[in-house]
Amino acid sequence: VLTVAALDGDGVAICETPGGAPETVDVSLIEPPRVGDRVLVHAGVALAHLGDRAGR
Amino acid sequence: MRYVDEYRDAELGRAAAAEVLAVVQPGRRYKLMEVCGGHTHSIYKYGIEDLLPENVELVHGPGCPVCVIPMGRVDDAIAIARRPEVIFTCFGDMLRVPGSQGTLLDAKAQGADVRMVYSPLDALRVAAENPTRDVVFLAVGFETTAPSTALTLRRARAEGVENFFCVCNHVTIVPPLRALLESPDLRLDGFVGPGHVCTVVGARPFEFIPAQYGRPVVISGFEPLDVLQSVLMLLRQISEGRVEVENQYSRVVPRDGNPLALQAMAEVFELRAHFEWRGLGFISQSALKLGADYADFDAELRYEVPGVRVADPKACQCGEVLKGVIKPWQCKVFGSACTPEHAIGTCMVSPEGACAAYYNYGRFAREKELV
Repeated sequence: VLTVAALDGDGVAICETPGGAPETVDVSLIEPPRVGDRVLVHAGVALAHLGDRAGR
Repeated sequence: MRYVDEYRDAELGRAAAAEVLAVVQPGRRYKLMEVCGGHTHSIYKYGIEDLLPENVELVHGPGCPVCVIPMGRVDDAIAIARRPEVIFTCFGDMLRVPGSQGTLLDAKAQGADVRMVYSPLDALRVAAENPTRDVVFLAVGFETTAPSTALTLRRARAEGVENFFCVCNHVTIVPPLRALLESPDLRLDGFVGPGHVCTVVGARPFEFIPAQYGRPVVISGFEPLDVLQSVLMLLRQISEGRVEVENQYSRVVPRDGNPLALQAMAEVFELRAHFEWRGLGFISQSALKLGADYADFDAELRYEVPGVRVADPKACQCGEVLKGVIKPWQCKVFGSACTPEHAIGTCMVSPEGACAAYYNYGRFAREKELV
């Protein structure tokens, strides 16, 4: 589970790992996320949108 | 951290274990299969078996994608990797999977340009950085990983990349489960279903298990409380005489999966007529290959490969481990000739492999003492 840190356009987001490292993630297969949202990522692709930090 | 900490609460774990104890019937044995290697990892890491009554047995299934790749496919990959024009890319655990003449890591040590990547999109970047070389990605994984390969190939086509190719070993989870259910030597009472695969395919593909085989399925998350709760839900179904597909992992898995991911897969892949699974043999329509529209990216069409079926080493019992017939420590070479550092079988290579999980979390020593 990664946290969206920035949106890069063209279906790409910069996400933050639990350890704080940045990771480029393709988010084109899920509902467009916002900064702060949590996403389930596998092999560089977000497969599920898990809501924001508060679980909304 | 939300979605993690609350599923590792020890007090809740003890409460769930007490509920399990209350549901099971003394004198009856329960054999439940955790389909996914991620579950196997959690079970051993957190000692979940230790919280269950003696008559509830968890057996591991075929859901470790690296473990099920047969030796012949590794030989094919190495043959491509040795070509001088090729930069060969793969996930880290595939580097150490043995073929009949060694591993991709051995090939790298002998001069082949083999590189580890974290995703197929990384491999595509390598292709962009090396326009005069062929860059080949070894695609492995179930429906969880296949969307990433599909998106990468879509992007390669959209960007007009002509030096990127894929050896497709993506497999699908339903056919081996059906094969296991047809197997006369394995009596299973229920399945802990593969949560992340279901994120993509949804719950519906598993409805044949209760409908045709009368066995319950609970789609499960991967934290220790997820697995414990899923075991409890399975035992409750059995106790109440119900057989259905339930979704414990509803915070992630929608009933119909991820339609965009399924669409991407359908656009890029088609089913292979047959595919060999380590330990399970050839299973019809159980794997993916690149469809006709993406044939230009198919490394198996671009290069000649041996394409030979290779029998597993006689000492290795990965096949029986993958079918849940034996526990890892019952294999003749487990922990002696076969260790994570010098693996003979695939189940000792991947972190999701049952043998590696058993070995790495010290279950090995405890079980040996019980023999």
